Amino acid sequence: MPRPGRSLPAFLLGRTLQAVPLLVGLLTLVFFLSRLLPGDAGTLFLSPTVSPEAAERLRVQFGLDRPVPVQYILWIRALLEGNLGLSFSFNAPVREILARVFPNTIILAIPALFLEMLLAVGLVAVAKRHPGSTIDRLLSRGTLVVYALPTFWLGFILVMVFSYWLGVFPSAYMWSAGSEGSSPVDLVRHLVLPSLTLAIPGAAGLARYLASTVGDVEKEEYVLAGTSMGLTHWTVFRRYILKNSMAPFISFMGTEIGGLLAGALVTETLFAWPGMGRLAVMAIFARDYPLVLGCTLLAGVVVIVGNLMADILQAILDPRVRLE
Amino acid sequence: MSVIRCFLLLVSSVAVLTGCARKNSAASDSNRRPITIAIAGDIDSFNPLFAEDVTAGEINDLLFPGLVGSSFDTSKGMLIYTPLLARSWEFKAEHCDLLFHLRSGAMWSDGQPVSARDVQFSYELYGDPEVGSVRQGSVSGLRGWQGKPDITRSVEILDDTTVVFHFEMASPSQLFDAGLPILPAHVLAAIPRKELRTHEINRSPVVSGPFRLERWTPLEGVILASNPSSTLPFPARASSLVFRVVPEYRTRVSQLAAGEVDVVADIRPEDAGTVSASAVRLVATPGRDYDFLGWNNIDPALFQKSGGKTVRPHPLFGSAPVRRALTMAIDRASIVKSYLGSYGHEATGGISPLFKWAYNDTLKPLPFDRAGAAALLEQEGWRDSDGDGILEKNGKRFSFSLKVSAGNALRNAVATAVQQQLHDVKVEMTIEQVERGTFWDNLTARRYDAWLAGFSVPLQMKLDDLWGSDLAKYPFNVTGFRNARVDSILAASRRLQNETDGASLWKQFQDILSEEQPCTFLFWIDSITGVSTRVRGTSIGILGTTHEAWNWSLENQARDRLAQAR
Repeated sequence: MPRPGRSLPAFLLGRTLQAVPLLVGLLTLVFFLSRLLPGDAGTLFLSPTVSPEAAERLRVQFGLDRPVPVQYILWIRALLEGNLGLSFSFNAPVREILARVFPNTIILAIPALFLEMLLAVGLVAVAKRHPGSTIDRLLSRGTLVVYALPTFWLGFILVMVFSYWLGVFPSAYMWSAGSEGSSPVDLVRHLVLPSLTLAIPGAAGLARYLASTVGDVEKEEYVLAGTSMGLTHWTVFRRYILKNSMAPFISFMGTEIGGLLAGALVTETLFAWPGMGRLAVMAIFARDYPLVLGCTLLAGVVVIVGNLMADILQAILDPRVRLE
Repeated sequence: MSVIRCFLLLVSSVAVLTGCARKNSAASDSNRRPITIAIAGDIDSFNPLFAEDVTAGEINDLLFPGLVGSSFDTSKGMLIYTPLLARSWEFKAEHCDLLFHLRSGAMWSDGQPVSARDVQFSYELYGDPEVGSVRQGSVSGLRGWQGKPDITRSVEILDDTTVVFHFEMASPSQLFDAGLPILPAHVLAAIPRKELRTHEINRSPVVSGPFRLERWTPLEGVILASNPSSTLPFPARASSLVFRVVPEYRTRVSQLAAGEVDVVADIRPEDAGTVSASAVRLVATPGRDYDFLGWNNIDPALFQKSGGKTVRPHPLFGSAPVRRALTMAIDRASIVKSYLGSYGHEATGGISPLFKWAYNDTLKPLPFDRAGAAALLEQEGWRDSDGDGILEKNGKRFSFSLKVSAGNALRNAVATAVQQQLHDVKVEMTIEQVERGTFWDNLTARRYDAWLAGFSVPLQMKLDDLWGSDLAKYPFNVTGFRNARVDSILAASRRLQNETDGASLWKQFQDILSEEQPCTFLFWIDSITGVSTRVRGTSIGILGTTHEAWNWSLENQARDRLAQAR
């Protein structure tokens, strides 16, 4: 939180500067941990059919002939110049691969985020309509169970029900063959199950958090005043309770972006969604170090930016935050 | 309206919208969908200089035809070369020169003509160490000048449509080596050679083949569209081919059965029955792939310690009679019957029965003979002196760990069967699963004592990589097998004019392997591909899944063409 008297730009600058060492630490850790994996990237990357002379040239070209600490320094230097290196698996710049794949994760994550919010607010609204009732208790316990569900299990159940039994939604991919990039309806059909898989556990967690905040707010006098004025439950909930519960809710959403990225690792694999999660898994198995680092960097930036945005929104929505 | 109502309305709208779209299109989906091939992994490059992956190689063949095409004559068991960019060819100078007459009218997709310069330039790139092509070995037979390779001389342009390849010596692989994909000189010459591997031109290539690259998305797949300007041999009949990345084997098979994809390669024998029950036909090609139990013939510890300089026999597997005994202790026929059924054949050596001219069909597998195996081991000094159920010699127990690449269900099952059978001759074996990358890394470094793995034999009878004694030069000779007679056979086979002239040499080679048992050859596995019955004109076989895919078409397209012809 910004200190009293600090302007928003100063706050932003401070938070960004705080994020830099965090990101550098993360990348350093991943760089050295990935090098601890058994097997040499050179032997995996360079074909045995390449002549020893050519293999040596390529090792030099890709910097694989240098000691690991030197490779690290060279990588950081290249990173500062905007160069993320070359992917061994795709024989292409990492930047280009990320640029092709990252939008697919965004296409999946944004609807999932909205669904998550919508489901959470909906669940809390229902529960608070009948406080202490069976529905309230069921929702309270049910969200705990759903929050603990493994993503792959939930995805599997959704596929079984909606894809194999009911045949309503496709079980995998982003597009049907022949519709690639051309049919928004086809994309929406393919989005439904993976975005639900991502959203449902998150929504359960969010609902529990929101319910607790709402519980505090609804005891406030202005809420009681609104109710005593004869306003409907929904109006009171929307105008007084929800609005005043938003600040911690948004803060939670900021951290949830990281959760969505982590969940995408499993969800994208399960639904053959061509996004960052699958790319990272593939890169790790292929020992494609530059690509592993590229994925880590991007994921790190997304999480940090998500948290930063949540802080800013919180500060904008609730000026008291900056005064505290 | 409550938030719940809003949510329900949203969900039902999506379901209705997408459900309607699905229902409306369901009937015509299977007809309208382009031919779709499910592939296990991504494409590593759309440049034949660098494409290593099998599927990438097949796709590149459809984009960049070579001078010659090929087919496989199953009756003779050998490759037959057919005209492609070259309309004809002739051997000269006692089979050391190969003269090609190019067909006129071949065009690159940017409108430029394909010429002899493209041929020469392509081979310059294949041979340039700075480029680091994975096909560099294919130019090693070309003549050098003053001891150095010089492609501008060894691939000589006589005129725009005539080019001659000068080889060092007559060799059966000349046409194979001259058949590499031809690249556009006018596009690639401007790119620094060091940058070719990762240059963006590889993602939007200028091509001359029956297909062009329409779309590539990492992890998603590739779409090839028919190239209307191609004369090599003609624009593809199907308007497009979709290669879809489906990493999970089970998903690929279930999608084939459900009619969501049309072609899936490498179907496991145990799934063949399920898949063929649907509207799918199975194409089983006698295999080029064999599984074997590898015995390290050399002491791995000494070999590693000396940096590959000291080669001594392995304490357990260094003796040929011991290796023979191990083979005899394993019931290979029952393993084939149990796990592969009619899709596998017991192996006797390193040459597939597919290559009929070279295969030694008089050679019988060593018998499954537990008593004989025990006697052989005893002759070699292995006895159970302490009565613990495990053989010993000079205080060393016959106990080892068999390494298996993780995630291969067939190999794990076979390893378990082998473990039990070796136990019956008092040999102790444990099984250790190793992550795939690590497994191959250690295997080619010859760090393991024993392992279960599979190899594929090349289309050309060039087996130096697998059996040549120069261990530094041939990392895929993973058993460390060294035999002077085998080396002389490998060398002699390289100097023949016709491949089939080496038939007797290759039969001797198999005799030696059978005697020496550098490894226990288990079985040849048929390659099983499932193809939807709506796809016509396929020639799936030993040369690949999408071999000559320019002839592929959909059932309804074939009907339309027939109607038009009438």
